[in-house]
Amino acid sequence: MTGLLLLAAVALDPNAGVWKAAPPTTVALHRTPPLYSTDPPAALEIAAVEVKLLREGGKTMARLEWRDASAEKTAGAPDGFADGVALMVPAKPVTGDLNPSLQMGDAAHPVLIYYYDAARGAALMEAAGRGTTRRTKERFPAQAAYEGGKWVVTMELPELAPGAPYSLAVWNGRQQDRDGRKYFSIWQRTP
Amino acid sequence: MSRHQYSMVLDLNKCLGCQTCTMACKKLWTDGDGMDYMYWNNVETRPGQGYPRNWDKVGGGFENGQLRPSEIPSREDYGQPFEYNYEERLFQGGLQVMPNEPPVNTPNWDEDVGALTLGENYYFYLPRLCNHCTNPACLAACPRGALYKREEDGIVLIDQERCEGYRYCMKACPYKKIYFNEALGKAQKCIFCYPRLEKGEVNACAKQCPGRLRFVGLLDDPDSAVYKLVKVYKVALGLFPEKGTEPNVFYVPPFNPPRKGNYGKSVLEDPRMPLDYLVYLFGPEVLDVIRRLEAELQKAQSGSKSDVLQLLIGRDDAVRYQIPQLETLVQIQPARNA
Repeated sequence: MTGLLLLAAVALDPNAGVWKAAPPTTVALHRTPPLYSTDPPAALEIAAVEVKLLREGGKTMARLEWRDASAEKTAGAPDGFADGVALMVPAKPVTGDLNPSLQMGDAAHPVLIYYYDAARGAALMEAAGRGTTRRTKERFPAQAAYEGGKWVVTMELPELAPGAPYSLAVWNGRQQDRDGRKYFSIWQRTP
Repeated sequence: MSRHQYSMVLDLNKCLGCQTCTMACKKLWTDGDGMDYMYWNNVETRPGQGYPRNWDKVGGGFENGQLRPSEIPSREDYGQPFEYNYEERLFQGGLQVMPNEPPVNTPNWDEDVGALTLGENYYFYLPRLCNHCTNPACLAACPRGALYKREEDGIVLIDQERCEGYRYCMKACPYKKIYFNEALGKAQKCIFCYPRLEKGEVNACAKQCPGRLRFVGLLDDPDSAVYKLVKVYKVALGLFPEKGTEPNVFYVPPFNPPRKGNYGKSVLEDPRMPLDYLVYLFGPEVLDVIRRLEAELQKAQSGSKSDVLQLLIGRDDAVRYQIPQLETLVQIQPARNA
């Protein structure tokens, strides 16, 4: 068994021992503004995501952990929405300090979105600007666990080189989050 | 704007409240997974809570050109589907068959309850479906561009591939005629039976209606019954015109409901139901519509022929439905501003 397969198999478990030694980065979250003027601004219930990254064999394993007072695991009733998280990266390599637009990139700077939805699981999405996000047919290995008021989601991603940009989004189903109604981070650079 | 616009006119004076339209639609379109609770077509008693409960009071549509979304109705607002205890009762002997869970709300929960006016009960039936609006709030609200209005005939549809189940359309629709399919994670709605229309066959709800109260055709086709009723005779109105969506389903308001001792009196001089309620549903123009219909009734009763009432009788399919062949749609000359 190669190192990658071993690492991936182990590290997909959110509670695996390999994560204990990985250095955490705290990424602050913000709320998107209300879509309609009649929507009340949503409370900032989730302040940050703790991010851990491990690299091996051309892959990056990501572990995303955040506090959420309640787990919404289905898009149940007509007015129910599921929790979710996404990690967005540029679809093409970037140079220097340039980051794609936070609003799903643009035509010249497309993005890939590794999306995990508690109701429907993992899905790879692509976008080249606001309103263009679409599901590719591809999925990617991911696992999620909700314990003790915390979500932990692990993802197997293509390798993110040191200094590569990424940004995060979190959807809180209890706050009827979906689409652009969500928490987001500004662009980060991988350690 | 679409080149043509399919439209439906429903004569509320003829509705029996039999729900045959509801079942025709249910059997044809909404018997799949996740669709139990949805009735793309429903018939509700008015005054009453409606389906989903209080849909007419929660909001939606436009105000000063801006979307005014409401909350999404809850499962209880729609009324939960339930199973019956057949096993326990029918096959083991016992009392009458009952729902497994005591229901707290259903789509037709307050059927025939109505309200009182001057100590007497009144109500009428209001069949409802998607209004395939000219200015659809659902379409304006969808950030995915999943809703679209067909250029050839104005039917409003949801692209099931584009839809991500965000439900902004449900919040925006003032008629609450979009439903969320939990099993698929998609919004779904009345498709105006477009596959039937494309084969020259009228909508299932209209086809099955024993009261023959539905008229279907292009609103811009001068030969269609809907054109005559809405544009020429001006006896049919859309629901809640102030919501700004320009609905394309129109209603001939109930104008002559029977009551003991009122023979020969107009509903305007002896209202058997509060006219305020009709104004609430259809806007102030409903009073003019009732005046026109009363005049037609008097004409007929005095021995003259009323073209309006003759058309409203809707003797056969050819009178009520004008479904052009798909290829002739382009040849019909619109008569928008008549």
